[in-house]
Amino acid sequence: MSRTQHIIPSGLVFAVGCWVAWVSYTQQPADAFLFPRLISTAFVVLAGWTFVKALLGWSKIGTGIPRRMAINLAPGLIVSLIYVFWAAKTLGFYTATTIGFFILLSLYDPAPHDQAKSWIRRAIVTACFVAVMYSVFALLLKVYTPREILF
Amino acid sequence: MEFIYYFGNVFEPISLLLLIGGTIGGLILGATPGLSPTMAVALLIPFTFQLEAVQGLILLGAAYTSTVAGGAVSAILLKIPGAPANIATTLDGHAMAKKGEGAKALQLSFLASAVGGVFGVLLLIFLTPLLAKWALAFGPSHLFWLAILGVTIIGSLDSASVVKGLLSGCIGLWLATIGFDDIMGAQRFIFHPSLGGGINIIAALIGLFAIPQVLTMFAKGRQGDGIEVIEVQKHAIKDAVRELLSRKRAMAIGTAVGSVIGLIPGVGGQIAGLVAYDQTKKFSPERKKFGTGHPEGVIAAESANNAMVGPSLVPLLTLSIPGSPTAAVLLGGLLIHGIFPGTDLFDNHPDVAWTFINSMLIGQVLMCLFGLYIAGMAAKVAQVPQSVMAAVVLGLSVFGAYSVQSSMGDVYVMATLGVMMFFLERFGFSAAPLVLGLILGPIAEANFIQGSMIANATDGMAPYFLGGGLNILLIAIVVASIAYSVWMELRQHRITNTPQEETLV
Amino acid sequence: MKKLLAGAAMALMTLTGGAYAGDYPDRPVMMMVSYGAGGATDFQARIVTMTAGNEDALGMPIAIINKPGAGGRVGWNWFATQAEADGYTLAAYNIPHFIAQSIKGGVDYSADSFEPIANWGADPAVFVVAADSPMNSMEDALAYAKENPGKLTFSGAGLFVGHHIAALQLEKAAGVKMAYIPTKGGGAAAMKAVIAGDVLAGVNNLSDAFRAREAGNVKILGVFDLERNEFLPDVPTMKEQGLDIDNASVNFRGIMVPKGTPQDVIDKLAATVPEMFANAKVAGKMKAGGSPMHIMTRNEVKEMWAAREATLKELLAGL
Repeated sequence: MSRTQHIIPSGLVFAVGCWVAWVSYTQQPADAFLFPRLISTAFVVLAGWTFVKALLGWSKIGTGIPRRMAINLAPGLIVSLIYVFWAAKTLGFYTATTIGFFILLSLYDPAPHDQAKSWIRRAIVTACFVAVMYSVFALLLKVYTPREILF
Repeated sequence: MEFIYYFGNVFEPISLLLLIGGTIGGLILGATPGLSPTMAVALLIPFTFQLEAVQGLILLGAAYTSTVAGGAVSAILLKIPGAPANIATTLDGHAMAKKGEGAKALQLSFLASAVGGVFGVLLLIFLTPLLAKWALAFGPSHLFWLAILGVTIIGSLDSASVVKGLLSGCIGLWLATIGFDDIMGAQRFIFHPSLGGGINIIAALIGLFAIPQVLTMFAKGRQGDGIEVIEVQKHAIKDAVRELLSRKRAMAIGTAVGSVIGLIPGVGGQIAGLVAYDQTKKFSPERKKFGTGHPEGVIAAESANNAMVGPSLVPLLTLSIPGSPTAAVLLGGLLIHGIFPGTDLFDNHPDVAWTFINSMLIGQVLMCLFGLYIAGMAAKVAQVPQSVMAAVVLGLSVFGAYSVQSSMGDVYVMATLGVMMFFLERFGFSAAPLVLGLILGPIAEANFIQGSMIANATDGMAPYFLGGGLNILLIAIVVASIAYSVWMELRQHRITNTPQEETLV
Repeated sequence: MKKLLAGAAMALMTLTGGAYAGDYPDRPVMMMVSYGAGGATDFQARIVTMTAGNEDALGMPIAIINKPGAGGRVGWNWFATQAEADGYTLAAYNIPHFIAQSIKGGVDYSADSFEPIANWGADPAVFVVAADSPMNSMEDALAYAKENPGKLTFSGAGLFVGHHIAALQLEKAAGVKMAYIPTKGGGAAAMKAVIAGDVLAGVNNLSDAFRAREAGNVKILGVFDLERNEFLPDVPTMKEQGLDIDNASVNFRGIMVPKGTPQDVIDKLAATVPEMFANAKVAGKMKAGGSPMHIMTRNEVKEMWAAREATLKELLAGL
């Protein structure tokens, strides 16, 4: 795995650590930031050490993200992010879950995509899942989730 | 021996029905991500309005017992710990499930839960007055050292890299400070409105454990060979019993640690499982196997988190002080019927007190029976294709995170933490130490600040935090824990380094 | 055509508008409690709303959602900034807590951010010591405080909550310096500190202290209220013990909605909720749980909020 791949996450963690330390040592009231100061100091030291190790190419643990994996991951990740951060609230939980679930299933289901049978199977699985979620969360637990379209 | 006299009450038709209903309901609620035992018990409170005091408590007691154990189901099969108590179960339990030993892991977890749970309730029955004194002995300084003891585990939880384990712990400790500072009320690190309430621990748990799972499944792509995921081999119950009997050490350490830590108000339930897991690992000759699907890991974690159930009620039943959020909800269930825990409970309502305790004892056994049945079914249910599994876990995570406190912010926090954790895991960071930091941060901070306020008003910092038998004992354990980790680390280095040097020569 | 359109618009407006006032509530209502499940506020909120589903009350159940943290600030901040003002999101208020916090600053709400509906309970603060403590009256406690200035540690549920107000009043009235220790985890944690001997004394809720006394764990030395309480007829008020302390710290609990909620919804709630509190079943359960009730209507609560804000501003001015 390339050195650059290790530099990016450890660099980001180090940057977050520096930001946390900066906020902890500048914000008031000082009493409330006593504990964050303590943590952020350890945070920066450890993150710095990890970052330096990555720069020198000493980091060996972890499998990183090979090209093949990134290509596989991208569509699912994008659909999931749209589902969680936009659709769930805007379309309502159940509508968004129905759509999101079906798209994800279609994307990653190995069954042939040119046969009506496998599409029907996907639709049935989706319907079953949403029905179970609805009966558990809406009927049994009485959680009132956002409902904008349909139900 | 007074309690035996009241056993009959548990077996009245309505009581028994409630006990069975509460147990099954509790197992299902416990297995639902996002529903911690506290939430589950709070959800059941309205039902007890209609019932008599004894019956209501039987329902609540059975539900409490079985939700704690039910959390193991999602922890093992989906790698989503239902509550902080089940974090340690995911470490080896899910690894076992991945190897196809899901049914075995579930059976072991329910059997271990029952043994630990029965022991815990027996402690509650026989040693309550003594335990009550114990529970009160822990003041702010002691709780602070206990939290530090938890922090020392952080480094060793992640076997891959000690530095990255500690760094993950630091990230968790920092995440815990986000939101309003609990004592002063100052705002800290609120850089997005969703963080106004701080990071909810249950939502964080779901995100940190479940979302990386989902993304890992996506990353494998469209797999041609179809059904592959968690294939569960059938496993005979009597083999599971035999396995459990051959792992007495894990069982004993788990139960002992769970009962002792469960007793301490405000700390116990959340860290009992992890501390027991760590201690079992340290004492085991097969340390290397932990984290790769070792049955001892599951046994230790689950026996500990159910052993905690009985002792965690001691402060409530004797002193009327709820020692955990769940105990606080149970207190409400008692008050509604005009029963005040404390001497009043045992003197004037012994039927209520003992029937409640007995129902937990029987609840543990029932929980085990139904749990084993579920474990058998899991063999059929869990043969789910990867694509379906990924979408199901994602959907469950969103609903689970939302239902904790009906907040969209929690869902965003869950997803953000989850995606971040997926990428960090690829580079050697891990979720368990991060979560431990998240849990321990507030305990350590609040007790340190409170302790230092008391210390400054009375005899000063050093005598308050370092003096007294219990403080010294806890500090000694902390030092021993660190020394042991360092020693093991050094020894391991020598072993791994020697062959390399030989090849160089 | 224009007429037709206007007519259609009118019809639509009456349909939607009319449906709103007449049918409210047509789905379950949510009530936010800014303290944890099992705390005194949560416990009482669950009891007083248990009959909401009855036909003579709202006709729809009220579901309790807990958003605990930082003495209530987390929940009320959420309520003021993120809750929808549609009548389906209610919240429990605690006076003097949220008013004191808004005066102190650092939060996104003030008394003007919310519209009160009705008050259900009044829980005075009391001064407690452990059952084995040598102190038997406020006189003993204050004598100790005078001999050891700043060394009498006493616990309470946090900063700028009712307990803290009571503590400030006590220090001011007695003219002594004591060490107030705010605990994380509400009244239960503060009570534990007293019983376990982590602190010498404590300020706590009357309802919780009453229970702890029944269990034989504490002694109650005084009530921070104008009159003695029916639950504790033998415990004198602070005034009776020569301390000039009024009822500013009494913890009033009730229901409110965010500002901007439609007036007809507020009116409907203000009319039905006090009746719902007055239900005999509710009163019975509250009494059984040792929780004093005090029902007030919307207008009475408005006056109480205004009066409290004035007193608290004065009290907190020096801080």
